[in-house]
Amino acid sequence: MNKTKYWVGRGIKNVILTIFSLFCVFPLFWVLIAATNTSVDIVSGVLLPGKNMVENFRTLAEHYDVFGASWNTVKYSVVCTIASIIVCSIAGYGFEIYHDKVKDRLFGLLMLTMMIPFVATMLPLYQSYAKLGLLNTTLGFILPSVSTVFLIMLFRQNSRTFPKDIIEAARIDGESELGIFFKMYVPTMKATYAAGATITFMNAWNNYMWARLIMSDNRAQTLPMMISNMITGHYIDYGMLMMAVLISTLPTLVVFFALQKSFVQGMTGAVKG
Amino acid sequence: MKKKWIVLLLTMAMVLGALAGCTGGGSSDGEKNGDGAKVENDTGSESVNNASTGVQKMTVWCWDPTFNINAMNVAAEIYKKDHPEFELEVTEISAGDIVQKLATSTSAGNTADVLPDVILFDDSLVAQEVVSYPEVFMDLTDAGIDFSEFSEGKVACSVVDGKNYGIPFDSGAAIAAYRTDVLKDAGYTIDDFTDITWSEWIEKAKVVKEKTGKALINGQSSYNQVTVMLKSCGGSYFDEDGNIDIAGNKKIKRVCELYLEMLEAGVYQEEVGWDTYIGNINNGNVAGAMNGCWIMSSIQAASDQSGLWAITNVPSVDGVDDATNYSSQGGSTWTITNECKNVDLVIDFFNSTFAGSKELYDTILSTCAISTWIPAGESEAYTEEVEFYGNQSVYATIVDYTAKIPVSVINAYDASARQAVCTAITNVAFSGADLDEELVAAEETVSFEMEQ
Amino acid sequence: MKLTMRKKENLVGWAFLAPAVVLIVIMNFVPIIQAMIMSFQSGRTGNMTFTGLTNFTRIIRDSRCIDALKITLEYVVVTVPLILALAVIMAVLLNDPKLKLKGIYRTCIFVPAAVSMVASAVIFRSLFAADGFVNSVLMNLGILENGYNFLGHPSSARIILMMVRVWKMLGYQMIFYLAALQSIDSTIYEAAKIDGATGLQQFFQITLPMLKPTMVFTIVMSVNAAIQVYDESVNLTNGGPGNATMPIAHYIYGLAFNGVPNFGYACALSMVILIVVGAMAMIQMKVGDRRE
Repeated sequence: MNKTKYWVGRGIKNVILTIFSLFCVFPLFWVLIAATNTSVDIVSGVLLPGKNMVENFRTLAEHYDVFGASWNTVKYSVVCTIASIIVCSIAGYGFEIYHDKVKDRLFGLLMLTMMIPFVATMLPLYQSYAKLGLLNTTLGFILPSVSTVFLIMLFRQNSRTFPKDIIEAARIDGESELGIFFKMYVPTMKATYAAGATITFMNAWNNYMWARLIMSDNRAQTLPMMISNMITGHYIDYGMLMMAVLISTLPTLVVFFALQKSFVQGMTGAVKG
Repeated sequence: MKKKWIVLLLTMAMVLGALAGCTGGGSSDGEKNGDGAKVENDTGSESVNNASTGVQKMTVWCWDPTFNINAMNVAAEIYKKDHPEFELEVTEISAGDIVQKLATSTSAGNTADVLPDVILFDDSLVAQEVVSYPEVFMDLTDAGIDFSEFSEGKVACSVVDGKNYGIPFDSGAAIAAYRTDVLKDAGYTIDDFTDITWSEWIEKAKVVKEKTGKALINGQSSYNQVTVMLKSCGGSYFDEDGNIDIAGNKKIKRVCELYLEMLEAGVYQEEVGWDTYIGNINNGNVAGAMNGCWIMSSIQAASDQSGLWAITNVPSVDGVDDATNYSSQGGSTWTITNECKNVDLVIDFFNSTFAGSKELYDTILSTCAISTWIPAGESEAYTEEVEFYGNQSVYATIVDYTAKIPVSVINAYDASARQAVCTAITNVAFSGADLDEELVAAEETVSFEMEQ
Repeated sequence: MKLTMRKKENLVGWAFLAPAVVLIVIMNFVPIIQAMIMSFQSGRTGNMTFTGLTNFTRIIRDSRCIDALKITLEYVVVTVPLILALAVIMAVLLNDPKLKLKGIYRTCIFVPAAVSMVASAVIFRSLFAADGFVNSVLMNLGILENGYNFLGHPSSARIILMMVRVWKMLGYQMIFYLAALQSIDSTIYEAAKIDGATGLQQFFQITLPMLKPTMVFTIVMSVNAAIQVYDESVNLTNGGPGNATMPIAHYIYGLAFNGVPNFGYACALSMVILIVVGAMAMIQMKVGDRRE
């Protein structure tokens, strides 16, 4: 009796999870299929892989600078991710390990920035950028997203699990504060770094609004900008379009798959509070 | 104690180093991307010494690789024959982004770094942008371009306060294109849709829908369709003095009624985006298209449908004054910015190409860029019979249509007004609101926007 | 000596924070103050003059703004609880150590978070097009006779806009709950089982209370994000049909950059949003300050 109940429960669980998994994965599966089919097949609702993949890619490469856009996107995202996790992890560590009333207050104040609608700050930021010559540069792209409260918080919360006696012991051994951070903290926090890197990379990779504003030069164009340009042309080749969507999605997926184990683990520390 | 300070300094140095690392990366590609700007600076001082040479490079913003970018490239090839040192740099940028970049760069005061020499605009936007940013656009009235060689209605799109601000490019003459095979299934020919009124059109379209299951035409929301209909009877959202005229405007009301009627009957299919609009035409889900003639370049992309299409004029709005079977929608105009580095070069370029080369217009004819430069229309290429349209001489037909387009009043707030009227239509169609009330509300919305 | 040690540590602490804090101040606080100043100005960008409260009194008369606020409110009220509930359910189901295929389910549900908004919009637009996949399925099943233009009707367009968000955010938030669940001590459940608590009782009496801090955090985050929704509406429907899917951030963007721009007014509107979300900030500061 109990056993049947157990198996029924198990079955329901799996059914629910399967339904949601399909809901989440199907649109991407559809992109994959579409990228291998011709425009006509895609619209007629074909759900099997076609033979047009190479052709779609060729059309794409012919009409758009897909390599340039990919390289730009990779460059911006990687630089942004590295800069961001360095700056934010040091800050998160600082906020927690050296915390006092003033720093806690300051952190609360910084949390306010999560409320600021980007539309509101966009134009003043652009005006300053124009004066400083930051348009069309990697630095310009990354600056607003290098230091984010979310990432600082991730590291701050995770630092709570970092044993303080180790720090004390190291200090007695004469280790410098920076030495403690790099030699002890960084290696033990790999999971947090993985989580932070995944989130930052995805955000940077998919950034559209800001990129569109400051990258006026075609040679500085990113993949999301390219896709958005593609849907306004006189002729739309769905196969080519879906190929571009696929190309723009793959790298973030790869990053996620590579870091997925540590990703969940890294988040664990963050929500423990 | 000192050691601690060293630690502190080291930390700062570390972080600064990390930041400087990205700065380095940033500035290096800043140089790469910004070399256009560099050249300008160098040659800027040069041109003081030697004014006759100047910069030999022209920068352009336009948006479609198969259409206007292609046209610009062809023009550059032609110009290079006599000016081998001429260099063209085209930036592909969507029409929406152009408007945004103008807003940002003028507010930041860096138009000199951002804006190119030449910008292409949709005809419906030129007046709006010139009024919004008068300092950006060059007055071309006495620049040496013979505007009398362009069709009159087209030139009017880029005239603000009696001054010319644009060099016309492609025609926006409205056409109705239909799939003759589908019409045949419904028992019609293309002639049944020529020189008719909208009421007749809707009746016939219902038959097509009944017999073939297809909507006759589609459109991206109601924007383009309403423009086609309104302009065919010389209607406008504003009177000649620039006063808003929506609520009591008989033409607008009649257009809305007809539009709602065809939407209700299912003979017009509203699309959300440009991509699905084109997609449904190309895959035959709708039996026709009605828009500016440039839409033909998209229609022709479905090469498997060669011979199945034919074009004719648009229906006329029955029940109002000045109704005709001719209209315009879209089409585009080149403008020159005040940041232009070598005005003489750019003017000479246009006089040798878009305002002076039959060869150019003949070459780009295959992409359905129909000239508004009158001499080009006299070229032999325009009499060609096009196989895709069942050997109809479509180009000559369109040139003929272009001459018959009624003139309507143009205003900087046209886009806002059109948006408001289309919103009114949506509210009536989907929320059962009252058309008269909605049009009053639309007028209020626009006048609200105008007071700033 | 001990005091100076403290002082020194404190200084090092500040040095550690400095770069991040300086960047946040320059990139967020400075521009928002600039925007605040502009909200009292009118005129063409680049040539603006102070006009006092004109921009703010204008808001009350702006019917499109009020529509946009309504749409935004509806969007927040529907998506936030929906994503929350689904994310918790998914996380609880996945937190079963005996569950096979756990990794696959988790990956599947998370994957949409990796897709950019522009790409998501392109995908959903083609799926829900009048002749798109969804319609052909419905027509083949005999549910619909003709293709239904989902994105062309105000109410269905709004539902799809919400659906995209659920699709994209479900997995992302689920990860937070999954992480929170994994840090709950399993002995609590064992004790509850011995006391004879049913699965549902365990869920309501142990799991939910343990998830509360995470919930507060994710709710605040997702309310903020939902109030600022822009990318979705721009790329999916561009606000249409009519203005039926134009949320407030999209409307502000249009005011600032499209048509005849009115940046002062756009700034005034974003200040109003800032104040509205300010209430949320209070809660968030409480959460951020929480220290046991």
